[in-house]
Amino acid sequence: MTKYSEDFTTQEMIVVAGSRSLPDNKVIFAGTGLPMVAITLAQLTHGPGIVPVFEAGAVGPVLSRGLPLSVGDSRTTFQANYLLGLNSAFELTQRGYADIGFIGGAEIDPYGNLNSTMMGDFPDGYLRPKTRLPGSGGASDMACSCERTIIIMVHEPRRFNEKISYITSPGYLDGSPNARWRAGLVGQGPQRVITTKAILGFDDETKRMKLVATLPGETVKSVQDATGFELIIPSDVYEFEPPTVEEIRLIREVIDPQGYFVKKKIKE
Amino acid sequence: MIEWTGLSPDEARQFLANKDKSKRDKRLSLKEAVQKYVKDGDNIGVAGFVNGRQPIAIVHEIIRQGKKDLTLSYQSAGLAIEYLAGAMVLDESKNSIRRMEFAYWAHEAFGISPLLRYLTETGKLELEDWSNYNMSARFKAGSIGLPFIPCRSPMGSDMLQRNRAVVMDCPFTGRPIMLLPASHPNVAIVHVQEADIYGNCRIQGPLYTCPEIAMASAHTIVTCERLIEHTEMTRYPNRVSIPFFAVDAVIEVPFGSYPGNCHGLHYFDEKHIAEFRGACEKFRKGDPAPLQKYYDQLIFGVENFAEFIDKLPFEQIRYAQKMEPGIRLEAGFTVLGS
Repeated sequence: MTKYSEDFTTQEMIVVAGSRSLPDNKVIFAGTGLPMVAITLAQLTHGPGIVPVFEAGAVGPVLSRGLPLSVGDSRTTFQANYLLGLNSAFELTQRGYADIGFIGGAEIDPYGNLNSTMMGDFPDGYLRPKTRLPGSGGASDMACSCERTIIIMVHEPRRFNEKISYITSPGYLDGSPNARWRAGLVGQGPQRVITTKAILGFDDETKRMKLVATLPGETVKSVQDATGFELIIPSDVYEFEPPTVEEIRLIREVIDPQGYFVKKKIKE
Repeated sequence: MIEWTGLSPDEARQFLANKDKSKRDKRLSLKEAVQKYVKDGDNIGVAGFVNGRQPIAIVHEIIRQGKKDLTLSYQSAGLAIEYLAGAMVLDESKNSIRRMEFAYWAHEAFGISPLLRYLTETGKLELEDWSNYNMSARFKAGSIGLPFIPCRSPMGSDMLQRNRAVVMDCPFTGRPIMLLPASHPNVAIVHVQEADIYGNCRIQGPLYTCPEIAMASAHTIVTCERLIEHTEMTRYPNRVSIPFFAVDAVIEVPFGSYPGNCHGLHYFDEKHIAEFRGACEKFRKGDPAPLQKYYDQLIFGVENFAEFIDKLPFEQIRYAQKMEPGIRLEAGFTVLGS
């Protein structure tokens, strides 16, 4: 019988949820932070055939030399199958070699558009933002050109807004039919949003965000209350399986023992 | 027609056509190289990626000499830009950044960039937003002599309102495609593991966008961990990442990207990164003293990068070396005598 953990943090839960959402034997283009932790966990559990790709150039490395602290550091390159640079990595995504882009963001709207550029008034207040964020990095390229994207983020009302300050990484844009295709994008867009409270997806017709599953300790109401816009609530929402003792052990003892990405709060 | 920062494609072609491309000894001191090739108002192509193999020694020298009104072009950067920004916030009359064309400025696991927040929230920087692929592809266009390069991302993003890209219908498929203007910086600053005296560079680990930045720029300053014999370099011609004629100055500066990660030599010095970033964060919150002290002691208080490294605890450097999982350099035994 599976033994479930009874002591886990929301950060650990999100990593477990992220990990389980990754199918084995797929090419996963990994953004920095929690996506790296979740990929490593997936490789150690159900997904030994996952092929991670890092934007600084590494394709298919073995992540056994410690958790990378950067998507370009030496730990991302150990036993890589291919290694050039940023152009080569992003060229692969355009060509169709990246099945899933796995990214984070600071703010999201109902159509899965992500902001990692600035909080404040755009475009007028662009040069004097309320808060300047680090910028796109490679996230917008992944959101556009990986075949699907999975988004991982902290679930707070201020991060889930009907209208976000700035669209850095396109989701389904305005949600109109074929909006991505008409914009010229090749990837199919976001598939899942994994948060500290829920697993979310997108309605096939309207492309608006829908609830798929609630994480342990959460309810449909608590998830909706923490979301700054109305979620579609289908009748088949289920409760997500809690983290197992083994998953939590791997995160704490093997993957991120120093707590670089998992224990600390995600900062703006 | 757009306004070009750095050189326009035609100027860049003309410049290179008239450049001395001879295979000659390009060793200079770092001081001389920065004096000769970095000018006020330049567009500087900053190589490396976040805190990986960034040209930190070159940046420290730029700060010591003081350069103003710079435009910085890069995909993702951490410490190199933070150091320049730190010099700017401490004394804007000596060092200043006017504009950045970039995708990301922060430190990943080590945290956000305090000075990006400070400088933007006080309205001091002109920013042009791009993605990592955009900046890499812009350098690539520059490096292959094309005025623009088509790209599939990030169409639909608000970045298109904040940069000079153009979306048009592809003449062959009829579908929208994004065209990026080439980037031709006045000078590229690059740190590599191995170089010979002519400027041939052999990069170990990820190339990032270093070859493209060097090839796109009018001038290139290279620092290397080790100067190696030319015959050793040419044993593997297909491993030469940057060819000699793209390089103007080559300087052996061991630990030249410290406290960042240099593949095969050392991992991050996490303690030192946290110390410097912490001083920047204190500045942002209103206390300039720790940052001033850092610069006084470790940048203005030293003559060169070797003296900076001398001031760091040996155990800390040793630890960063021990932690490094990258492939060690092969050519260690052919290191040139000084």
